[in-house]
Amino acid sequence: MSGADRALALPPRWSRANATWREALQTMVVVARRDRFALAGLIIYLVFVVIAVLAPAVAPYPPFELNYQPDGEVAANLGPSVHHLLGTTNLGRDIFSQLLYGSRAALVVGFVAALGVVILGTIVGLFAGYFGGWVDTVLMRAADVAFGIPFLPMAIVLVAFLGPSIWNVVLVMTLLLWRDTGRIVRAQVLSLRERSYVEAARVLGASHLRTMFVHIAPNVLPLSFLYGALAVGWAILTEASISFLGFGDPNVVSWGFMLQDAYNSQALARQAFYWFVPPGVCIMLAVMAGFFISRGYEELLFPRLRRR
Amino acid sequence: MGLLDLDGLAVEYQTLHGAVRAVRGVSLSLPAGRALGLVGESGCGKTTLARALIGVLPRNARITGGSYRFDGVEMLALGRDGFNDYRWRRIAMVPQAAMDSLDPVQRVGDQMAETMVLRGGMTRSAALSRAEEIFRLVGLEPGRLRLYPHELSGGMKQRAVIALALALRPQLVIADEPVTALDVIVQHQVLRMLRDLRATLGVSLLLITHDISVVAHLCDDVAVMYAGRIVEWGPVGEVFARPRHPYTMGLRNAFPSLREHQEHLVPIEGYPPDLHNPPQGCAFAPRCPFAIQRCWDDDPALTVADGMAAACHRASEAAALRVEVAQAFERMVKDEAPAPAAPLEVE
Amino acid sequence: MKRATFILSRLGQTLLVLLVVATLLFLIFRLMPGNPLVAYLDPTFTEEMAQQLRRQFGLDQPLHTQYFAFLRNVIRGQFGNSFFTREPVNQVIWNVLPNTLVLTLASLILAYIVGVLGGALLAARRGSWVEHWGIPTVLATRAAPEFWVGMLALAIFSFSLNWFPFGGATSPGSVFPSMWAQILSLDFLHHLALPAFTLALYLQGLPTLLMRNSMLEVMDEDFITFARMRGLPERTIILRHAARNALLPVVTAFALGIGYSIGGNVIIETVFSWPGLGRTLVRAVAAKDYPVAQAAFLMIAVVMIGMNFVADLFYSLLDPRVSHERR
Repeated sequence: MSGADRALALPPRWSRANATWREALQTMVVVARRDRFALAGLIIYLVFVVIAVLAPAVAPYPPFELNYQPDGEVAANLGPSVHHLLGTTNLGRDIFSQLLYGSRAALVVGFVAALGVVILGTIVGLFAGYFGGWVDTVLMRAADVAFGIPFLPMAIVLVAFLGPSIWNVVLVMTLLLWRDTGRIVRAQVLSLRERSYVEAARVLGASHLRTMFVHIAPNVLPLSFLYGALAVGWAILTEASISFLGFGDPNVVSWGFMLQDAYNSQALARQAFYWFVPPGVCIMLAVMAGFFISRGYEELLFPRLRRR
Repeated sequence: MGLLDLDGLAVEYQTLHGAVRAVRGVSLSLPAGRALGLVGESGCGKTTLARALIGVLPRNARITGGSYRFDGVEMLALGRDGFNDYRWRRIAMVPQAAMDSLDPVQRVGDQMAETMVLRGGMTRSAALSRAEEIFRLVGLEPGRLRLYPHELSGGMKQRAVIALALALRPQLVIADEPVTALDVIVQHQVLRMLRDLRATLGVSLLLITHDISVVAHLCDDVAVMYAGRIVEWGPVGEVFARPRHPYTMGLRNAFPSLREHQEHLVPIEGYPPDLHNPPQGCAFAPRCPFAIQRCWDDDPALTVADGMAAACHRASEAAALRVEVAQAFERMVKDEAPAPAAPLEVE
Repeated sequence: MKRATFILSRLGQTLLVLLVVATLLFLIFRLMPGNPLVAYLDPTFTEEMAQQLRRQFGLDQPLHTQYFAFLRNVIRGQFGNSFFTREPVNQVIWNVLPNTLVLTLASLILAYIVGVLGGALLAARRGSWVEHWGIPTVLATRAAPEFWVGMLALAIFSFSLNWFPFGGATSPGSVFPSMWAQILSLDFLHHLALPAFTLALYLQGLPTLLMRNSMLEVMDEDFITFARMRGLPERTIILRHAARNALLPVVTAFALGIGYSIGGNVIIETVFSWPGLGRTLVRAVAAKDYPVAQAAFLMIAVVMIGMNFVADLFYSLLDPRVSHERR
């Protein structure tokens, strides 16, 4: 099915560019229903959410617990077995349990950071596009600067100074990743501002804030959501990278933390694939889910490339 | 037999909602050296027909029937390579989007030379001197050959594309809305140039436009197209003076340039039919003030009388209908729901 | 000249961004909790010695004085000595910069060759199984964490198959007469291969998808239709007209890519213990070696912002329309 056809199946008033918040939300459902990739992405997220919620109940061991063998020895560096589905770390921790708990850090970081990026980026884009003039100039120069900052090095420096906690990771990502959303939302607002219903709202006495958030915002929301879905992936990937480099929260099990642990504990030399393959696969799936969802959106919103 | 002969040519688009019959059996003939204007509203199949004649249809479109003869040769029977021999060497085209038809990153002269070298078998230096020659012909300084397309104005780009079309001395040039995108003064310049070129080169012209004043200016014959068919066809003076199809009469009333003494213009109410499922009867019936029951039932064929052809059941009454045509169309505009709505339900 | 105005305005913007990034860096390093000298001081220092050190580093001055001193030093390229090795910072940076540049360029060139060809193929085979499986595969390479792919590569090709060294840029103990001799040695190439391929695997995703989209877009343009009408050979249409136009955004992305991957190399260099700028930054930050961290960060930022500028230049040179139409 082509993008153009999908566009036809949108909630009726959507294409007339005067959407309400409810319709903007409906679009999200439509995307999932229409695009196999987007559906796959949503299912991946759902599975991770379920795992994250149920982790304490499902995980056979607490993630940081040292396990012992029946003879009293530390159960270190064991291969997969019935007791330890994915074996144990060099300190005798259960890898499978860590993997389950790792989904919590990934989802929290991913979603909270994406939410931050979407909110900050959308607000910047709305203000810049709606007011134009010096507001626009200042905000877009700020975006230029944000684009000029080397992302990962800055994230490392900031997290190193702010202290190793996942909330600082989230904060840093919000501060650095809003730029893409901000720019694209601004461009969209620029074109929406000229539409007659926006003018009508102004003439009828709606305040600037009301016009922006009630009349314009719902129209750019799907666009923000597209970038939000991408940001979830970026955030998970960045958190993993920061943890891998050793600047992560030492008290939170994340997939990046597990990989760092494996890397530093000679798991590569010992060929302990059961230790370092699963966390990487999980990160990859989570990031791909974000890509898939944003792709579904892109084809719905910009069906040009799929035409014919 | 003419240079170009079409008989029942049909083109369909495959869409997700089924086939769209954009060209539904077009029959036409263009004698060598003459200019035929093809007019009609946008969406009537003019451009699709033109692209079928040069053999470059959109991906989802294909020719589904009929015959297309050029200089006596059945073009549809030729293979890909056979068709390509005719393309540009004997049939050239000035496409609708002439403004965007030149490669933005290559100099205009290089694009002309490329075509002449690859299609005309010329050497590069011969091609370049020929390019200068045609540039002069279309009223452009040869120095402009060294410019990039974005450095030319709209009118100059249009002339450059026309020059490119004439490069290999084709027998037939198909020009699709050659002046629509230009502003009025430039339109006149380009039209005058086209007329002079015809006189000096003797090239045959198939001119496609929605603007009947352009046809009156440039063409010998005119064919009026509606919903994928030719509804009227004949010499320009004759057709515009004494149209026999109500659609042509309506067009004449809807355009300002032809009848300047007329106090006000009368538009044709309504829209062309949906070509996913073309109507059983005459496609114009729903918008026609003179439609009778027969028009809803049978699709009239294009019949020739006195060197003119019209596809209308009431063509023989044309003289009488012409008298009341303005008032009749005006009534259609006023009556929000046209009377013949009911028969649509009858099946 | 319009192009000159365009370039000048871009240059101005670039310098502004550099200034702001440098200022941010200064603020981060001076205003963050904890004294920058914490790592330098050890408990045996007396209060007077600590005071003297502060004076030596200018930390007793008001903030704006410190700021201007910082800017002066940055412009002069004076970054002081490392807190740990006491080596001049410039020395540290210049030692690792060539390694980073070689790694980045080697992987980028590889990635862009693969990406341009792959993207053109994906566009040409639109709707076929090639596209059907190709795109998710490309997305997967972009979703897989680089360090994890590096770990897999190390585990398989180094530890298991023993084809490549475990890390570093040269074999321990090897001595080279010059930097160039080192870079051109087989030993260096042997060390370079695995990190370069890993990085290239990650980097190829962008040019591949970019080239595909760009090709598809260009193939829909009117000038391609017009070229078809003229009966030009398909090869000429694809190569001379479509690909040439489609390459514009990809070439721009290449210049941008140099900047971005130098920033992103942090990860790959750490996994493969590649003695480059990124690894130097990570180690300096971890050890709170401020002078080195600051200089490494600035160096990365300068390369990246500079490359953004170069990308704009490229674009205005390659596409004759840009400097005229944009703004």
